[in-house]
Amino acid sequence: MGLTADERWDIIDAITQRTVGTGTYRRTLGDALGDLTIQPLTGIPVALGVLYAFWSIFGSFAGSLVTDGFMVKLFDSSWLPWLQAAWPNPDSILYYLFVGDPAADNCFEAFGALTSGLFVAIGVVLPAVLIFYLMMTVLEDSGYLPRLAVLMDTVLHKIGLHGYAIVPAILGLGCNVPAVTATRILETRKQRFIMMSLLAIFIPCGAQLGVMLEVIPETVGLVMLYLIIGFGIFGFVLDRLIPGSNPEILIDVPPYRWPAWENVTRKLWSRTKGFLKEAVPFVLLGVLIVNVLYLTGVIAALADLFAPLFVTWFGVPKETVGPLVAGFLRKDLAVAQLSTIAMTPYQMITSVVLVSIYFPCVATFVVMLREGWRELLAAIAVLIAVVFIYGGLIHAIGILMGVA
Amino acid sequence: MNKNVSVFSLFIGLLGLATLASGLADILVWAGADPGFSIGILEIAGDDFFRWAWGGAIVAFGGLFMLAGLKNTDDLQQSATVLLGAAMVWIIAGTDIFARFCESVPAGEEAPEFFNSLSGFLAGFAPPYPPAILLLPFTLVVAYVLFTRRFDEAEPPSTADFPNRL
Repeated sequence: MGLTADERWDIIDAITQRTVGTGTYRRTLGDALGDLTIQPLTGIPVALGVLYAFWSIFGSFAGSLVTDGFMVKLFDSSWLPWLQAAWPNPDSILYYLFVGDPAADNCFEAFGALTSGLFVAIGVVLPAVLIFYLMMTVLEDSGYLPRLAVLMDTVLHKIGLHGYAIVPAILGLGCNVPAVTATRILETRKQRFIMMSLLAIFIPCGAQLGVMLEVIPETVGLVMLYLIIGFGIFGFVLDRLIPGSNPEILIDVPPYRWPAWENVTRKLWSRTKGFLKEAVPFVLLGVLIVNVLYLTGVIAALADLFAPLFVTWFGVPKETVGPLVAGFLRKDLAVAQLSTIAMTPYQMITSVVLVSIYFPCVATFVVMLREGWRELLAAIAVLIAVVFIYGGLIHAIGILMGVA
Repeated sequence: MNKNVSVFSLFIGLLGLATLASGLADILVWAGADPGFSIGILEIAGDDFFRWAWGGAIVAFGGLFMLAGLKNTDDLQQSATVLLGAAMVWIIAGTDIFARFCESVPAGEEAPEFFNSLSGFLAGFAPPYPPAILLLPFTLVVAYVLFTRRFDEAEPPSTADFPNRL
């Protein structure tokens, strides 16, 4: 009934004759370029070039074209005056919650749910996230991302991770929520914990970056530098403190390809849709809650309570407590709030770094909780220690440089 | 053929030197060696770390790659190194042109309308240009020659051909 071994081999021969072709392999320029981009001597400058292009396109599109070019004018010249005129009774609580300051002449400073909330969500964050995910998808589908993973492997091993940790790290620059989920590509609990903690503390999301670009364009570079240095230092420390292994990786690096635009648009739509569903309600709700906390005096009480810590240890005005509370709901919102507080440029850098590292936003918090409450509690403990040490350190550096 | 190759090599050598010099000039102007200069259609403003220090370093690396691939441009690997150098210039020139595009489409803060006029839009692309944009046409010539050239590297696959495959 069954086939003999010879008969099976005959079938295999017949199939292979029909399906397998042999010939001479011809190496192409694309193959040689692929090799050059994973060799450190040529690959690292190329990676610097790719990152440059990434941030330059991000800034030009999200900053110059969409937000500054159209959204600011649309919201400040049309939407805000119309809303201020149309909404009845400027002295009411509802006016304060939804429209904000009746004397404000721009949406950043009005701080109502339908003014600042809508402007931050649609005018600032959406273009930033859209262009970020577009470029991320192009890098992914062209085959550059696995090469970057190979290139970064040695460096990331120094902080207990491996090359593929670059994927959640870059994703985190878009939104920390999918980035926390992406830490599952790391093999051990130790690696996942380190990556999750570093993500929550040192990787600012695309929304936050978009707002930073809008309100403090000249100091974004310094803020990022502080965050990158912190990522390295605290990753190194965590690797030595946390028990567990750090295994090697095996990566199959695909050849370079032109991205298929159908796939790019599909991925872009799915990622942007997910972001819109999470971000817009959180931003609007965030503004409302923060306004309620201001109205009820909670923020003022917290500012008085934490004033010694903020003024003496971190060297920033006590008014930054408010944005830090808002930061738990949406960090982009917190950066927008910081821009309205009077402070020196160095205090602004310190405040933005503090907002970035002090706590993950509530959406990231929920996803981290899904990964395990023990990990979350441990990550929070690490985070409190990091904020205290690193915030003080930045203040000390400022004092030594004579700028704080 | 040899004569063609040597003319091409000479072209790459000169282009590599010009690219390296441009990248270094970007960095030096940013570092304060000069307050920024404009000669004819060339301009190095040097007013921003990201564009002139980081961007200048990428242009300089581009020049180094072209010079590193100069010897034996008939070889596939060497040609790829030259092409990579050209691609580094494309990154900076491409992002510069894109930045001009993004700044030229809107009408500007003071104007009542949203979109720029056609003449205003085109004026955004007027000279002076940074060195990377001026180098761009020459690097495109390099790419054209390399992409249309046949490389005789037909050989059976071996692990040496796949250092990126584990």
